[in-house]
Amino acid sequence: MIAALHFHLPQRLRLDLPLRRDASGRFLPWIIALMVYLAAMGGVGLIWLGDTLRQWDASLASALTLQVPPDISQPRLDMMLGALRQTKGIVSARVLQADETAKLLEPWLGKSVAVSDLPLPHLIDVQIDPSATIDYAALHQQLDTIVPGAQLDNDRHWLVTVREFALRVEGVITAGVLVVTVLIVAIIIFAARIGLAIHRSVIELLHLLGAQDAYIARQFQVHALTLGLRGGVIGAAAAALTIVILGPAGHALELPVPIATYGILDWRVWLLLIAAALAAGGVAMVTARIIVLRQLARMP
Amino acid sequence: MVRLENVGKRYGADAEILHDVSLTLDSGGFYFLTGVSGAGKTTLLKIIYLAETPSRGVVTLFDTDASTADRVTHNSMRRRIGIVFQDFRLVDHLSVRDNVALPLRIAGAPEREIRENVPELLGWMGLEDKLDFRPATLSGGEQQRVAIARAIVRRPDLLIADEPTGNVDDEIAMLLVRVFERINRLGTTVLIATHDVAFARQFSHRRYHLDRGALSTAGEDAEVA
Repeated sequence: MIAALHFHLPQRLRLDLPLRRDASGRFLPWIIALMVYLAAMGGVGLIWLGDTLRQWDASLASALTLQVPPDISQPRLDMMLGALRQTKGIVSARVLQADETAKLLEPWLGKSVAVSDLPLPHLIDVQIDPSATIDYAALHQQLDTIVPGAQLDNDRHWLVTVREFALRVEGVITAGVLVVTVLIVAIIIFAARIGLAIHRSVIELLHLLGAQDAYIARQFQVHALTLGLRGGVIGAAAAALTIVILGPAGHALELPVPIATYGILDWRVWLLLIAAALAAGGVAMVTARIIVLRQLARMP
Repeated sequence: MVRLENVGKRYGADAEILHDVSLTLDSGGFYFLTGVSGAGKTTLLKIIYLAETPSRGVVTLFDTDASTADRVTHNSMRRRIGIVFQDFRLVDHLSVRDNVALPLRIAGAPEREIRENVPELLGWMGLEDKLDFRPATLSGGEQQRVAIARAIVRRPDLLIADEPTGNVDDEIAMLLVRVFERINRLGTTVLIATHDVAFARQFSHRRYHLDRGALSTAGEDAEVA
C-alpha cells in the first residue's frame, strides 16, 4: 500500500536522490524556524511601531494646547481667542471649562482635590487643519504680545524626534530581517553543497541517463521548499503563540494601538506570519535551485 | 550512428590510453568490443556514451559532433543511449521498479506509461515478483537483469553493455547475449564490451579488438558477420 502510494506521487515531487535521509533534513527546519520566528517578531514590531506613530501623529497633528496665566482678564482672553481664530489653518479655539480641566488633572491629583481652588492656568484647546502649515514662531510671538507668558504647547518638534528614533528602530528591524534572510540563504547553500557532495554518484548516474541539470536541480528545489516551509510554519506558529501570550499584556497596559488591542486577531499579523512562512520556503527553494544549477554546470 | 575518428585519450601527463581509435557503428548493428583488462575498453565506451571527452579526435553521435554540442544536447543524446554498467550502478534507496523507471522519468514519460511498461518489462526479465525490492536484496544475476531492464526500458537507439558476461557462467552469458540480440532485432544498435575474445567469437557479430589502446579494425579481429 505504501509502495503504491509512493509510486503515484506526482513526478515533480518525486526524489530520485535520497535527500530526505540527509542529516540536513533534521536540523535545517529548526534553524529556519528560529530565523522565521525572529523575522516575524521583528515584523510585528514594525507594525506596532507604525501603529504607534500613526496614532501619535493623528493626535498631535490636529490639536495643540495653549496655557494662559490664571489671572488674565476676560477681554484679553477673548482677544487671544480672536487672534487664534483668525490665524489661517486654525479650525477652532475654545477655553476648556473648569470641569474639563479637572478631568484632565484627575489622574495626577485625584478626585478629592478641589481643582477650582487651585491657581490653574486657563487651557485653550486649539483644533488645527492637519494639512495646513502654521508658522508657530510667529503665532507664539503674536500671542505673547496679547498675553505675556502664554505658552503654546506644540508637540510637533517632539514628534519629529520620535519619528527619527522610530525610523532608526525600523532600520534596525529591517536590517535584522535581511540578516535572517541572508542566514537562511547561507544555510541552504551549505546544505545543498553537502547534498551535492554526498549524492555525487547518483547525480552522475542521472546525468549519464540523460537527466538535464534542471531535472536534478528540481529535486533539490523540492527538498529545500519542503524544509523551508516546514521551518517557516514552525517559526510562524511560535511567533503566533508569542503574540497570543503577549496579547493580555498589551490589554493590561492599554497601549493605544491596534496591534496591542487585536493581537493575533489583527489581519496584518496573519498576513505577516503566512508571508514569513511562505518566504522561508521560497527563499530556500530559489537558493537551492541557483546553487545546484551552478554546481552542476561544473560537472561533466 | 556512432563514428570515432582518430580518437586519443590521456589523463593529465600520463601515457595515452587510447591511440588513434577510429570506428563506426552502423544503425541496427550488433558489435563486440574485445580486449584484455586495461586495454581501454571502458574508457572507449565512456567516450561513446559521453562520460569522457577525448583528448583528440572527433566523436560523432547520432549525426552530431559531440565536441561542439552543448550540455543540453549532450544530455539529449545520452537519453538515446542505454548503458549496462559493469558494476550495474543501481540506486540503492530506490526499488527495482523505480530504478527501471528512472530513464522514463528523466525523459518526462507519463506515470501511466511507467506504471504499465515497467512491470511488463520486469516480467519479461523474470523479475515480476521483485518489483518493490531494493537492489541490495537481490542476487548479482538479478541485479544485472535490473540493470539491463533500465538500459532498454526506453527502447534506446544505442545499447552499450560493459562486461555484462564477466561474472556469470557460460550458460547465463549465452542467455544474456540472446536477450541483447532480441533487443537488437527491435532496431537498437548493440555494443558489448568483453574481455573474453573466445566467447565473442561464438557469435556471428562484428568484433572490434582493443590492444593497449589501439583498435584493430581489420583482419582476424574485425571479422564481418
